[in-house]
Amino acid sequence: MSKFKLANIFAYGFVTLFSIYVLLPIIVMILTTFKTRKEIFLEPLGLPGQFNFSSFEKALSIGLGGFIFNSFLVSLFSVILIVIISGMAAYVLARIDFRINRYVYLLIVAGFAIPPAAVLVPLYVTVSNLGLLNSIYGVVMPLTAFGIPFTVILFYAFFLDFPKEVEEAATIDGCSKMQIFFRIIIPLSGPAIASAAIFQTVWIWNEFLLALIMLTSDEVKTLPLGLMKLRGEWSSDWPSIMAGLTIAILPVLIVFLIFQKYFVRSLAGLGK
Amino acid sequence: MNKTQINSIGFSLSSDRVSVIILLIPALIFCTVFIFIPAFWAIVGSFYSYGMTSLNDWKWVGFDNYIKASQDEFFWIALKNNFIIVFASIVLQVGVGTILAAILDRGIKYGKVIFRTIIFTPMVISSVAVSIIWLLIYDPNFGILNNILKAIGLPTPTMGWLGDPDISIWMIMIVAGWQNTGFMMVLILAGLQGVSKEVYDAAEIDGATGVKAFWYITLPMIRNILIVAILITTIGAFKVFEFVYVLTQGGPSNATQVLGTYIYLQAFNLLHMGYANALSVILLIIALILGWFQLKASRRA
Repeated sequence: MSKFKLANIFAYGFVTLFSIYVLLPIIVMILTTFKTRKEIFLEPLGLPGQFNFSSFEKALSIGLGGFIFNSFLVSLFSVILIVIISGMAAYVLARIDFRINRYVYLLIVAGFAIPPAAVLVPLYVTVSNLGLLNSIYGVVMPLTAFGIPFTVILFYAFFLDFPKEVEEAATIDGCSKMQIFFRIIIPLSGPAIASAAIFQTVWIWNEFLLALIMLTSDEVKTLPLGLMKLRGEWSSDWPSIMAGLTIAILPVLIVFLIFQKYFVRSLAGLGK
Repeated sequence: MNKTQINSIGFSLSSDRVSVIILLIPALIFCTVFIFIPAFWAIVGSFYSYGMTSLNDWKWVGFDNYIKASQDEFFWIALKNNFIIVFASIVLQVGVGTILAAILDRGIKYGKVIFRTIIFTPMVISSVAVSIIWLLIYDPNFGILNNILKAIGLPTPTMGWLGDPDISIWMIMIVAGWQNTGFMMVLILAGLQGVSKEVYDAAEIDGATGVKAFWYITLPMIRNILIVAILITTIGAFKVFEFVYVLTQGGPSNATQVLGTYIYLQAFNLLHMGYANALSVILLIIALILGWFQLKASRRA
């Protein structure tokens, strides 16, 4: 019995300690937001003397709203493109016995393995040649391309488990493959679409490297670039920097806490 | 309709050939234009010398860029750091993630959802934001880490947590672990929940409970998920960019460079486009080898 209790104490102790490690930086961020610059220098470990909202005003005045809006547009366009294009391709791979499918699948897996840094210079030249530097489409296009392989693999596994009978019935009724895909498969693929969309949104909302090389003027910068700008311009004005981070992070955290069941489910499915 | 041929899974060949092409082509175009053709040009460009302002002025240099890399101390540091990150991530993220998953699966009764939610949260925060928060925590003057250590009378590193080349890469790993361990935990937890209760009942009859049951029964049963977790972590470790870029910019004196940041430095700060391509090709080869392992693992699973 005593051995059982010890194991229990260890189990709760371990997850509690790890949870503190996770929560501490978030608490530091929020508390620092309300402190004055004098307070963080004199009492780095203390609580804020009073709730001081001036940091929020300063953070908003630098145009954080614009960065959030740009990130929203980039995520929205990229995720819609990724989901539709990947779904179509995965359907062909999973359902239609086409000679080139084997090679297409190999290409897709190769595409999944290649990181943006491995094609950085030519990718920059490509986007530049398309005239898309300093345009959000200059990141939407490559991000879509880099999101497709993984999403195809995800949908492919889903479509393989999909019952064939419905499609066979539709074929007998004279539907083409295109009609079957858009009228039957898409409406029945809710869970797979949700998984793919959630995963890609998290990735694209936070993507930094491609945005860093493609977007240099402030009007088109995405949120991670905007946060770097705060950091660069205010160097040691930590309350304002943390206010900026809080504004940037809080909406995502709230959405996550509301939908956390779906987030967890969608990411957990990746191991299958 | 009557004239068209119906095959085993029931589709008409003539019209479907068109459908197939229309459904497949957008994915192929995107990947070709933004991944495969750039990969091809990275390989070609690695045999030339050129800069940002002279994109049309390529000079053939043969294998010079690769020879330069083999003699470049910082390239080797970057490569070594990527391997350190691979191994440290496997231990910290997959290892600790497995322990956390095991505890949440069968080790505790209360608060499972709360703990899981808290530990998973960092996954949805941008790496840039995460890194900036940790910059403040590590700050020698304002940071809580130094101030806590001072308050309990422990020594603090004289060059700062991120300024000491011996420890800075490990400080980056603490941040990476903070963000990614929860993801691994959730991934492995899904695998653990697939292990049926009967298996544990049978194990208990044979005298295996608790840690023993976990080690001998559970771990072998979730082997495939662990392999996937290790592969995702390894591939991720070669994609590391934000943590290093924000926390140390590759410093102090290039001690924390990784391939991603070093390629960026060579290409967009020093404008050595040809050399950056050679480094990219090395990363490309590593990535494709890992991709091949991924393919093998997923087929077995």
